[in-house]
Amino acid sequence: MSVTRLIERLLQLVPVLLGVSVIVFVMMALTPGDPVEIMIGDQLVTPEQEERMRRDLGLDRPMVERYFVFLGNALQFDFGTSFYHRRPVSDVIIERLPATIELTLMAMIIALVTAIPLGVLAAVKKNSIFDRIATVGSLLGVSLPGFWFGILLLMLFAVQLNLLPVAGRVAYEHGVTVRPITHFLLIDSLIQGQFAAFRNALAHIILPAITLGLPMTAILMRVTRTAMLEVLRADYITFAEAKGLNRQRILWRHALKNALIPTVTVAAMETGSLLGGNMIVETVFGWPGLGRLVVESIFVRNYPLVQAAVLLYAVTYVLLNFLADILYTVLNPRVKL
Amino acid sequence: MKMLHRTLVASALVLATAAPAVQAQTLIVGFTRDADTLDPANHRNRETETIIRNIHDGVVTRSSDMMIHPEIAESFTQVSPTVYDFVIRAGVKFHDGTEMTIDDVKFTFDRLLNEGGMGDGQTSPRGALLGPVESVEIVEGNTLRFTLSEPWPLLPAMLPHQQIVSKAHVEAVGSTALATDPVGTGPFRLAEWRRGESVVMERFDDYYGGAPGIPEAGPACVERVIFQVIPESASRVAALLSGDVHIINELPPFSMNQVANSPNTEVMTVNGTRSFFLAMNNQGDIFDDVRVRHAVAHAIDRDLIIDRILNGTASRIDGILSPDAFGKNHDLPAYEFDPERSRALLAEAGYPDGISVTLDTTGPMRDIAEAIAALLTNAGINTQVQVGEGTLMNQKWQTRGGPKEGDMFLSSWGNSTLDPFDIFGPTHGTDARGNSAGYSNPELDALLDAAAVELDRARRGEMYREAEAMASADLPYVYLWVPQDIYGVSTRLSNWSPSPDSRINLHRACLD
Repeated sequence: MSVTRLIERLLQLVPVLLGVSVIVFVMMALTPGDPVEIMIGDQLVTPEQEERMRRDLGLDRPMVERYFVFLGNALQFDFGTSFYHRRPVSDVIIERLPATIELTLMAMIIALVTAIPLGVLAAVKKNSIFDRIATVGSLLGVSLPGFWFGILLLMLFAVQLNLLPVAGRVAYEHGVTVRPITHFLLIDSLIQGQFAAFRNALAHIILPAITLGLPMTAILMRVTRTAMLEVLRADYITFAEAKGLNRQRILWRHALKNALIPTVTVAAMETGSLLGGNMIVETVFGWPGLGRLVVESIFVRNYPLVQAAVLLYAVTYVLLNFLADILYTVLNPRVKL
Repeated sequence: MKMLHRTLVASALVLATAAPAVQAQTLIVGFTRDADTLDPANHRNRETETIIRNIHDGVVTRSSDMMIHPEIAESFTQVSPTVYDFVIRAGVKFHDGTEMTIDDVKFTFDRLLNEGGMGDGQTSPRGALLGPVESVEIVEGNTLRFTLSEPWPLLPAMLPHQQIVSKAHVEAVGSTALATDPVGTGPFRLAEWRRGESVVMERFDDYYGGAPGIPEAGPACVERVIFQVIPESASRVAALLSGDVHIINELPPFSMNQVANSPNTEVMTVNGTRSFFLAMNNQGDIFDDVRVRHAVAHAIDRDLIIDRILNGTASRIDGILSPDAFGKNHDLPAYEFDPERSRALLAEAGYPDGISVTLDTTGPMRDIAEAIAALLTNAGINTQVQVGEGTLMNQKWQTRGGPKEGDMFLSSWGNSTLDPFDIFGPTHGTDARGNSAGYSNPELDALLDAAAVELDRARRGEMYREAEAMASADLPYVYLWVPQDIYGVSTRLSNWSPSPDSRINLHRACLD
């Protein structure tokens, strides 16, 4: 993979993001509902004040003008002021981003660590009891609504067993002991040697991460199983077996490496959908992430925040796919970017 | 999978010791939503106000029985129909240790009232909550004079919605920074705001004690207060039952038994201030006939719905006002449940075979809408429920006199002051903001306009009673109920009771 090719791929992002910016802007602006009306609800107001609020939020300008102002500012990384928070949108989003990324990564780790071994095992023990249980389990994993599964976990681990906390990222008294460096609580507490805070943060993240990671675990397991079955039938595996190579070595070194290609693709795509799943999990577990903020902002037509957040999601999604492409070349040198 | 399960349980056990130990003096509220800002002048959100109210005090406040008490003010008097004088208390300190003066109070109101008063050309979105207040001036010593452009009896009831900020602090940090760095005079000062997660406050030891009219004044009882954001109601209930939090708001009626039956928690309710009603399109071909509207009223068994769906946690109403509101008419016709009478009225109006209509509502009210539709259909009013997003439905129905499509809309309107002014006019005035029914009665408009500025309290009450009787006869809406606000609380909590205006004031609350 040459550097020029890499830059070329990165440049392809520009038209995609421009397109996304137009779509998200127009969709938000055309969605019925007036932000000022929503903000005021049934509280007292005069028509003059409503007009003034509209002016203060810049909503009195024509849509095309608003788009170009938005685009011009966005190019300088200024995404405007959140209607509700009355602070720069970038500040509001950046505050919430680490929590979402930490949760997403944790869910991914849980999914990868459980799905790949289980998938390989299911393939090796094809049609055994284990395989069947795994099949049913993965079907359940995909079908269970995260919302319901999360509440079930809370009822069991928080209420019945009283083992884990219900909401938030860390208890206040533990949180104050950790200085934000990376803004990822688990990492920050660990590098500062605040083990009590680390354990507390881990106790907070475990249930939301399992809930978020469950569908991904189920899908990845199925994909790994199918890919593994295919690879195990390949000639080079038979050859390796004929040569008398160690079974474990064949499985984990020769077969899995090739079987991982579809798994990586699906994992990258699924990480995109984890960002979507966040919205529900963050609501159930009171997790202070971006997903919940975006959903709340859509309901109240907080245009600047939604626009900036959707752009951010788009960039992330495109970059993840890009990353998957690069990973292919590492896993399989025959693949070229 | 078995292995996975075992691993999960094992990890949970390892983490068990890390579950938060609730400290004796930290009171945690499981709350539906985070604050938008901690600047009292820069939002339009009730939950934000609830949080801010524990950090900032107002000129006056409300007790949980909705009485107005001087707080930062020592006393207030109405000098003339359009002039009020407030004597500002001495010896009140801000959280940064500086003394609060009358200049801070004047600055607070100038910031709210003046065009561009927030800086950067921005105007406070809360100015309109001060109605016709024109200016706020210092007249002598510690007396602040509010001058109104027209009489407005609601002023004392609306003033608790505004909180005092420090002039020096705001000028030093600016409005944008104030959003996250508040300096107030309230019982708690901000310790840390973890956006989206919690607002942590610590007791302000130099607190002057708050309104002397409400007992047990002095610094707050608990050392620390945390508003923990838990938007999902099932999770809030879980947090209360597990002991993670001590108060939760918006306990759903279907979870009441679960909370009541747990040995460590109990349910607390208070009559709310939000009136629910069924708007009928008075401009439409069907509901322009008052007999059809009466038929709808007789077809709905409100007691049944209150009992079965709302678990008995609502008070039935026969007019727009809550039973606790000022000026409530307690002698309105009841429109008792009588499907036969409905059918007869429909026949009289020219619909012997009944009518077919749609009922619009929003997601949270779907169950109730379905129940109402079933009752209406049973009485010959064949009803289809249509559920839509709140914003879209409001836009469809609150047309301010513009043409309206649709037949019926199940909705509500809040009335946090329990004064008819901010619910009657907006829902019944011709072309008013919240007039979903598209109702217009010039006689009622004139009466409401006169009542709004009437200073004789007895006469004013009489006018609203007359207005309710008028609306009850025309029946643009079927008035349904005022739900209670339901809270779940820990049995360790004492000296706290919910307030009808949904605010959670924690100044006096204690934990065992």
